[in-house]
Amino acid sequence: MVDQNIHSSSVGTSFQRTDLKDKVLGIAKYTADLSLPNMLHARVLRSPHPHANILSIDVQPALKMAGVHDILTPFNVGVGKIAPDVPILDTKVRFVGDEVAAIAAVNLYEADTALDLIKVSYDVLPFSTNIDTSLEMGNPKIHAQGNIVNGGPIVEARGNVEEGFGQADYIVEDSFTTPDHHPASLEPRAALASWDGTRLTMWKPSRGIHADKAILAAALDVNPNNISVIGPVMGAGYGSKDETRTSILAALLSMRTGRPVKLELNREEEFLAGRRRHSTSTKIKMGVKKDGTVTAVHVKTVMDTGAYLSSGPGVVRRAGQGALYLYRCPNVKYEGQIVYTNTPTAGSYRALGAPQGHFALESLSDQIAEKLNMDPLKFRLMNHVGPEGQPGERATPKNQIIDTQPVEGGVPFSSNELRQCLILGADAIGWDKRDQITTPTGPIRRGIGMSMFIYRGGPGGQSNAEMSLDKDGCFTLNVGFMDVGEGSSTVVLQMAADTLGVLPQMIRLNSGNTDNTPQSPMTAGSTLTFSAGQAAVRAASQLASVVIEAASEAIGLTDAEGLYITPDGVCSMSGDGVKFADLANKSGLLKAAVSVTPGSKNYIVNSFGAHFAEIEVDIETGYVKIIKYVAVHDSGRIINPKMAEGQVRGGISQMMGFTFLEDMEIDHSSGVTLNASFLEHKSPTIMEYPEIEVIFTDSIDPVGPFGAKSLGETPCIAPAPTIANALYHATGVRLNHLPFTPDSVLTALKRLR
Amino acid sequence: MKTFTFHKPTELEEASKLLKNVGQGHLLAGGTDLVTEMKQGVIEPNLLISASDIKDMSGMVWNNSGLTIGSMVTLDEIASDADIRSRIKSLAEAAISIATPQIRNIATLGGNLCQRPRCWYYRNVRFNCLKKGGEKCFAVGGSDKYNAILGGSSCYIVHPSDSATALVALKAKVEIFRDLQRVTIPIDDFFVGPEVDVARENILEPGDILVSVQIPKESMDGKSVYLKAKERQSMDFAIASVAAMVKMEKGLITEAGIAAGGVAPIPWHLSSVEGKLIGYCVEDIDVKTISSEVFADARVLGQNGYKLQLVQTYLERALNLVLR
Amino acid sequence: MENHATKITFKVNGEQHTLDIDNRFTLLDILRDRLNLTGAKKGCDLGECGACTVILDGKAVNSCQILGVKITSSEIKTIEGLSQGDMLHPLQISFIENDGGQCGYCTPGFIMGAYPLFESKTNVSVEEIRLALAGNLCRCNAYGAIIDSVVGAIGIKVDG
Repeated sequence: MVDQNIHSSSVGTSFQRTDLKDKVLGIAKYTADLSLPNMLHARVLRSPHPHANILSIDVQPALKMAGVHDILTPFNVGVGKIAPDVPILDTKVRFVGDEVAAIAAVNLYEADTALDLIKVSYDVLPFSTNIDTSLEMGNPKIHAQGNIVNGGPIVEARGNVEEGFGQADYIVEDSFTTPDHHPASLEPRAALASWDGTRLTMWKPSRGIHADKAILAAALDVNPNNISVIGPVMGAGYGSKDETRTSILAALLSMRTGRPVKLELNREEEFLAGRRRHSTSTKIKMGVKKDGTVTAVHVKTVMDTGAYLSSGPGVVRRAGQGALYLYRCPNVKYEGQIVYTNTPTAGSYRALGAPQGHFALESLSDQIAEKLNMDPLKFRLMNHVGPEGQPGERATPKNQIIDTQPVEGGVPFSSNELRQCLILGADAIGWDKRDQITTPTGPIRRGIGMSMFIYRGGPGGQSNAEMSLDKDGCFTLNVGFMDVGEGSSTVVLQMAADTLGVLPQMIRLNSGNTDNTPQSPMTAGSTLTFSAGQAAVRAASQLASVVIEAASEAIGLTDAEGLYITPDGVCSMSGDGVKFADLANKSGLLKAAVSVTPGSKNYIVNSFGAHFAEIEVDIETGYVKIIKYVAVHDSGRIINPKMAEGQVRGGISQMMGFTFLEDMEIDHSSGVTLNASFLEHKSPTIMEYPEIEVIFTDSIDPVGPFGAKSLGETPCIAPAPTIANALYHATGVRLNHLPFTPDSVLTALKRLR
Repeated sequence: MKTFTFHKPTELEEASKLLKNVGQGHLLAGGTDLVTEMKQGVIEPNLLISASDIKDMSGMVWNNSGLTIGSMVTLDEIASDADIRSRIKSLAEAAISIATPQIRNIATLGGNLCQRPRCWYYRNVRFNCLKKGGEKCFAVGGSDKYNAILGGSSCYIVHPSDSATALVALKAKVEIFRDLQRVTIPIDDFFVGPEVDVARENILEPGDILVSVQIPKESMDGKSVYLKAKERQSMDFAIASVAAMVKMEKGLITEAGIAAGGVAPIPWHLSSVEGKLIGYCVEDIDVKTISSEVFADARVLGQNGYKLQLVQTYLERALNLVLR
Repeated sequence: MENHATKITFKVNGEQHTLDIDNRFTLLDILRDRLNLTGAKKGCDLGECGACTVILDGKAVNSCQILGVKITSSEIKTIEGLSQGDMLHPLQISFIENDGGQCGYCTPGFIMGAYPLFESKTNVSVEEIRLALAGNLCRCNAYGAIIDSVVGAIGIKVDG
C-alpha cells in the first residue's frame, strides 16, 4: 500500500497538462468541430418580446422550403421538461431571446431564411426588467407561482442577531450592488445529436455527462440506456454551461428527421440564452464592541435570476457563506431572496454567489475597522474564523458528513490557514508602508486594499472511478467527470500515479463517454480535485493491492510481503519481479472499482485566502491601474503548481471584468439586451492583465486527497472588495456599486468636489 | 446574411457606375465594418464592389503640398509608417488606437472614415430607429451611456472614427470621385450631422467614392497628439478623445488644429480653441480655462455626463502636451 | 440570373485549392467547413475575439472578417500548418512548456496572432507582446502564461 505523504513524486510538480499538445496543434476537437455524414443544421427562433403568450405559430411558409426538414414548436414537442420551470419549448416566453421554435435545414443560410418565414402570433404582456418592477407587478406573473422564488427568502442563522446588536458598541450598515456580467466562455454552446432509430448519441460541451444524460432521458422520455452522451474537449464554461434547451432541441430534431443535427449558438445567442451571473442588491449590518470583537452580522441579499431559476438556490445560499462563517461571531443571520425578471437567465458562474456576498461583507468590514479606528488588517487578524470554527453547538449528527457551507457552530475545520494568508499577503504587498503612499501626485492617488474569503473546500457528490492494468503494461483510469479546461484530468492523473507508484504518463485517462465511464457528478463547485481525486486515489490504491497480489502469484511467491510497485513493474527486495505487460498477459484483467462519498464527519473542509492590491486612480479620468496584486491561497496541498497558479491568475484577471468593466445592459422599454457581444460586454484583454503574485500557504489538509482542497473558483471571490477597499484608501470615497467603470468612478468621486 | 453579387473593377469610373445603377450596392474596402453589419442584418447590399484593385485608391504619396493617402491604405500601414510617426504623430496615434492588430491589418483609412455608428440601437435590428428610417431615437430616454453630449439633435450617435478626429484637427482634405470627376473638399465639409440628414454621417451619395485623404504640409512637423479615453485598453471605441496639433515659432503659435471625438455625431472641430491659440504666445495660454469653457453648450443626457468630464480633461492634457 | 457564387484559387499551408463558394462564405467558413481545418474557431464570427486568427499574405487577420471572394491568389497559414510532421514549432513547444492554454479554445488564435512577432523579432518586450496580442481574448485569462509562452518561444528561436 502506498503512503500518500511519503511517496509523492508527481504530486507537487507541474506535470504537463494532458491535452495541451492537441490544443496547440489545433487538432483538439470541440463540439462545433465535429461533423457527421448527412448532417442537418439547426437554428432557433427567439422571442422579440420580454413577456408574452404564444397564441399560434404558422410554420408552413418555412416548411415549404426545399432545404427545411423539420420545425419544432411548443405545440409539437410534448410535455417534457429540462428543469422544473423550463419546458422543452413553452407557449409563454419570458425574455427577449427566449426559445420559440427550432429549425433543421440542409445549411445555415436556408435555416436563417426559414426563420424569417415563421409567423408567430403573440399576446404581449406587461414585463419587468428589474427587481422592483417584478415585486410590484400584477398578474400575470413571470411564473405561475409568483415572481419571488419560493415566496420568500431562505433564512440561515446562528445565535440571535438582535441580542448581538444589543451588545454592540458600534453598528455600521450599508448597501451594495453587483452587476449581472456574463461568463462569455469563448466556445459558444453547441450540440450534435444523432438518433439511429433506437439510440441517441449526443456530443455536447459538458461538465457532467452523466447528469446531462439524465436530463435528456427525462425530457425526451427515452430510456437512459439508449442514450450516450459524449463530452468533446470543452471550451470552458466557468460553471455556466449546462441545462439549456440547446441539446434537447438538437436531439428532438434528430429523432424526428432521422438525421444527425448540429445546433451551434452564435455569440449573441450565447449571451442571451446562456447563463449570466446573478446581479444582487445587499443590505449588510455588522455590530462590534469597542475592542473590535464582532457581535452580530445580518445580511439581506436579493438576487435577480432572470427568466428561469436554473441554479439559483445554490447561488443564493453560497452568497451567504461569508456572512455566516468568515468572521468569528456567535450571532449571524443571512436572508437570501431570488426574484424573477424578464431578462436572460442567471445561473452558475465561477464561485456562484460568493463574489457578490464578499463584495458587501469585505467592504463593510473596512468600514467597521474605520469606525473602530483600527487597521483593516488588524481587524481581520482579530476576528477571522480560526481553525476551531465558529462558537456554538454542533447540530449535524456525529455520523453524518459535515456540510461544506455550514451554519452551525461547534465544528472545527480540517485545516484553516487564513491567518497565514493574511500575514504572508500583508508582507508581500508592503502593508506596513500603506499610509506612506497616499500623497497625491497631481491627479493620481495611490492606495492599498485587502480582503479575505472563505469557500467550500471540495467535498461534492458521490464519485466513482475504475482503474485497470492493460495488456500493454499501461493503466487505464476510468472516470465519469469532465475536464472543463481547468486541468482536472491532469491533477487526477498525478494523484493516481503517485498512489499506485508509477508515472502519470503510464496512465490513460478515459473520460467523456457515458457508455464506458462510471457515474460521476458534475465538475462543479470546485469539487473535482477533492471528490474525483479521492475516488481516483482509492481506485489506484485498491488496484495496487490487486496488482501486488497477482504479481506474487505470477512470480510464484507464497505471500506478497516485500513486493512493491515501481514504474518498471512489481519488484521485490530479493530481486524477483515482473513487468506490467507480462503480468497483464499472465493474470488476465486486473482492475479495481470504487465509489466514494467524499467529505468528513468530523471537520468542515473549506478553502481560504486573502488578496491585496496596490492601485493608482486618476481622479480626473476615473481610470484605475493595478500596480501590484498579491493573492495568498490556502487550498491545502497544491497538486500541480503551474496549473494552480494559472487558475489563480486567471480567476483574478477574469474578475477584473466584474470589478471594472462588465455588465449586461438591458433596454428598459423593450427588454432587449443591448450589449450581447464581445465588443460591448467588455471582458479584460491582455492589455488589462495585471502582475499578480501568487502565494500558496504551506499546508496539507488531513481530509483531502494528498491533502488538497478546492482551488478552481476561490480566486474569484476577493478581487472586487480588494479593489473597492484600495480605492477607498486612495480617494476617501467608497464605491458600493460594481463595475467601477471610469463613468462610475468619476460619478462617485464627485462627492469630493 | 443576404446573398450578393461581387465585382472587382479596376477603374473608379466602372466602380462608380456600378454603385449608382445597381440599387443597393456597396463598396467593399477592408470589410471589417461592412461584413459585421451584413451578418447582423443592419444592411443588406445585393452587390459588393471590391475597391482593392482600384489603383487610384492605393498608396501614399509625399509631395510639396503634403501627404496624399489612398483610401485603401490600411490602418496598420499608417500606424507603422516611420514618416507619419515622426511628422504627423497624431494620425499614427489615432490609427494604432483603433480596434485590434488583426483588424488594422485589413481595415482601410477610407473604411474607417465611412464606418457606420456604434450606437447599440442603430446596430440592433430589433430597433427601427430614426437613423434607419424609423420614428424615434431610442437612446433618448433609454440607455444613452455612449451617446452624444454635443451636436445631437433628434439623433444622438457619436462618430466612431478615430482617424476622422485626428484628420479634422490636421485640417485635411478629402478627394471624392463623383459624377466622373474628382472633387477635393475640406474634411469639415465631408461629415454630416443629424440636423442636416439623420440617415447619413457623410456627404457621399450613391455612386460617390472616397478616393484619398490629403494632409497639408502646414499641419505637419509640429507637435501633435491623439488622446483616446476607452473603457478597456484594446478593442474599444473612444468614450471621449482629443486630437491636437500645434506649430510654434519661438513660442508664438502659428498654427493649431483641435478636435474632439466620441462626443458628437461628427468629429467636433474646436475652432474656437484654435482661435484662442493661433497668434498667441505659449506662456499666455490658460489651458484650464479654455478647456472648461469650450464645452459650455454641451447637453448631457441621462447617463453620459462623464463624457463631459473626460473630454474637458483630455483637452487640457492634450493642449499641455503640445504646448510644452 | 445574377451570380452569387465565385470560383476562387488560393493556398493554405502550402497546398493549392480551387473552390466554388457562395459569396457569403468567409475564410473561416472555408477553412472549417470546406477544408476540415477546424483549428481556427468561431468564437464570435464578428472579429471581436481573435479565436479565428490566421495568417493571410503574411499578416494576422480575423478569418471571420475576410470574405472568401477576396482571397483568390492569397496564401494562408493556419495552426495546422505550423508543425512539420512530428516537429512542433517553437511557439507550440513553448505554449506547452509554459502552460499557455487552459481550455485551449483561444490557443490556435493566440499562437497565430503571435506568429508575425515571432517571425520578425529576436528580442521582444512584454509590452510588444501585449500589443501584438491585444486582439485576442482569453476568457480563462491565461494571459500571464501566454506572455511567458511567447517570450519562451523567441528564446527557443534565439538559442537554436
